[in-house]
Amino acid sequence: MTIDWSWIGDHTYDLTTLTVSHLQAALSAVLFGVLISLALAVVAHRIRPLRGFLLGISNVLFTIPSIAIFVLLLPVSGLTRTTTVIGLTVYTLVVLLRNTVEGLDSVPAKTREAAKAMGTRPLRTLLTVEFPLALPVIMAGVRIATVMSISLVSVATYIGDGGLGQLFTDGFQRNFPTPVIAGVVLTILLAVVADAALVAVQYVLTPWRRRRA
Amino acid sequence: MYELFKHLGGWLTSGAQWSGSDGITHRLAEHLQYSLVATLIAAAIGLPLGLLIGHTGKGAFLAINLASFGRALPTVGLVVLVFLAGGLSMLPVYVALVALAVPAIVTNTYAGMTAVDPDVKDAARGQGMRGHQVLFQVELPLALPLIMTGLRLALIQVVATATIAAYVSFGGLGRYVFDGLAQRDLVQVLGGAVLVAVVAVVLDLLLSTLQRFLFRHRTA
Amino acid sequence: MNRRTLLGGLFAAASVPALSACASGITSLENQGGTASGGGSSKGGVTIGTANFTENQVLGCLYAAVLTAAGVKTNVRPNLGTREILIPAIKGGDIDLLPEYQGALLHYLDPKATATEEGEMQNALAVALPAGLQVLPYGMAEDSDAFVVTRETAKKYGLTSLADLKKQNGRLVIGAAPEVKKRQVGVVGLKDVYRVEFKEFKSLDSSGPLVKGALKKGDVDVANLFTTDTDIQANDWVVLTDPENLIPGQHVVPLIADRKADSTVRKALARLGNVLTTAQLTELNRQVDKDKKDPEDVANAYARQHGLA
Repeated sequence: MTIDWSWIGDHTYDLTTLTVSHLQAALSAVLFGVLISLALAVVAHRIRPLRGFLLGISNVLFTIPSIAIFVLLLPVSGLTRTTTVIGLTVYTLVVLLRNTVEGLDSVPAKTREAAKAMGTRPLRTLLTVEFPLALPVIMAGVRIATVMSISLVSVATYIGDGGLGQLFTDGFQRNFPTPVIAGVVLTILLAVVADAALVAVQYVLTPWRRRRA
Repeated sequence: MYELFKHLGGWLTSGAQWSGSDGITHRLAEHLQYSLVATLIAAAIGLPLGLLIGHTGKGAFLAINLASFGRALPTVGLVVLVFLAGGLSMLPVYVALVALAVPAIVTNTYAGMTAVDPDVKDAARGQGMRGHQVLFQVELPLALPLIMTGLRLALIQVVATATIAAYVSFGGLGRYVFDGLAQRDLVQVLGGAVLVAVVAVVLDLLLSTLQRFLFRHRTA
Repeated sequence: MNRRTLLGGLFAAASVPALSACASGITSLENQGGTASGGGSSKGGVTIGTANFTENQVLGCLYAAVLTAAGVKTNVRPNLGTREILIPAIKGGDIDLLPEYQGALLHYLDPKATATEEGEMQNALAVALPAGLQVLPYGMAEDSDAFVVTRETAKKYGLTSLADLKKQNGRLVIGAAPEVKKRQVGVVGLKDVYRVEFKEFKSLDSSGPLVKGALKKGDVDVANLFTTDTDIQANDWVVLTDPENLIPGQHVVPLIADRKADSTVRKALARLGNVLTTAQLTELNRQVDKDKKDPEDVANAYARQHGLA
């Protein structure tokens, strides 16, 4: 199995476009996953009985094969990027929801009470006290969800999307390893770079942790 | 969607659907075989690795980062790559599934080992225990709950992903998903998806019951 | 399609960049509305969908090449799946134009169709197509489904035609793409017309590496391939004849949404159809599959060479 370097040289534009498309799908999914998880986690955190239910649902969704989710979405959103993003978002929830709930749990009750005693309103407390304190745990979830999404995007190649995943089906049909190798390497690179970027983001977002360290 | 679930009932309960080489019974057995074999191989690789790293404290950085690389590996790409390199066999599927499962097993085993109280290890050594005795009689039992968590996580992911076998002409419950996609038979796709989810949940429950049985003598 | 527009906006869906996007892309979500009565307009650009096999991508890129030359903006989305997935997608507006095959399309729409002559099929298609879709004049090039066995299998069982398969009922394994199991031009028709029953159906791919690999290895006895696949000759495989005309004529025919079918598009595609021959199409497929050239490069070169672009 040899790599046809001239193919790579001739396809830098295609490879770049696919990489950007790949990243866009994964990041959109994580973004929507974070927003949904923040909302659901607040509910799960405040209303205890719902907690097990919501976490249970996200766990069960995680056991459904991703390809099946994409196909089952076809009547709803067709052969579009939307289908890919919804499918991927479903998978981010298992990590994001659990970590967000745990993050909120990790905020000491005393801190919450102090904010209340100072007359801070609940929504403000949530946004300025609880979320920032929960951030390290949430970010750990975001990192896992991002890497996972980047690796999963390619499954959407079976419904004509999939970013770098298109290189896999193309190489498969034509018995041509070069695009497949390029796709695998770029996917891993993308995951490593995205993960490093998130570490940097977390560093910037949590200055108080730096001082302590 | 409602229509789909209504038809699903018929699909799942029709006798013909359960028999023959494309029947649910056969596909279920294939799916279990792929999943269990892959998870066992992954455990045979991941457990010793995690234990070794946790026990010696060496190579932890490397292992954790490799595990994170592993999580980024695109399953479809890996299957195709191994297929192109070695031709049509179950090898591409097993390579991809094992690559998926090993990181979860290594990281959780390592995490379990590092969570063992250093004082306990010191005490064990103080009593004259050798390295391997400390590992097998002290660290391993204490790390077992997290190790089991890693195995369960790996198994769930493998069960969901074993669907990919159907892409390269093999069986398993993925057959319904891929055939249903090609035929745009969404009931079949849903049927396959539900069966995969049920298998994953049932296996997970079995493992958690086993875990509870193993640790029934331990007080929290 | 309100919810789709809503979701589309929410998810900020950009165009899905395709590996072999044959021209500057437009987003697949734009220009879905406007079911203009009458002629339709290609002004907003045409999104060409293609199925999951090489030839269909080549044809899609050929369409793009001649349309671009005619001043129409195009965007090719490769490898979207099977006809079963593509027809709903063109109805739903995800794609506008699709390279199709006369007989196969007709039997998909109407499994009981009896037309076999090209003109008849064209009329039958006009009737069978759902509102909003139409076929343009069919081209010269043809690519049929073929049921193929190895030379050894043909000798061993004395097989020359599909009718001979009946003698081995319950003994042979057939390999084909999953959709062929449910298609009239497939397992269903073979049973109806030739009374053939297979021991097993193996879900593989559309004249791709799986089905050809399985035939070579002997994992399947009969394989469903395309007549434009050069591997049939290269391996000295035997195409079983079809005395009862189960397999209809499969001339390449553009399937297009009414909303895009203006005279510019019609003229450009008709010119291509009148130039492209089966032998040429077969050669273009070979260049993509064997020489690993890009479908768009192969298509553009062909269009230039033949004065189409």
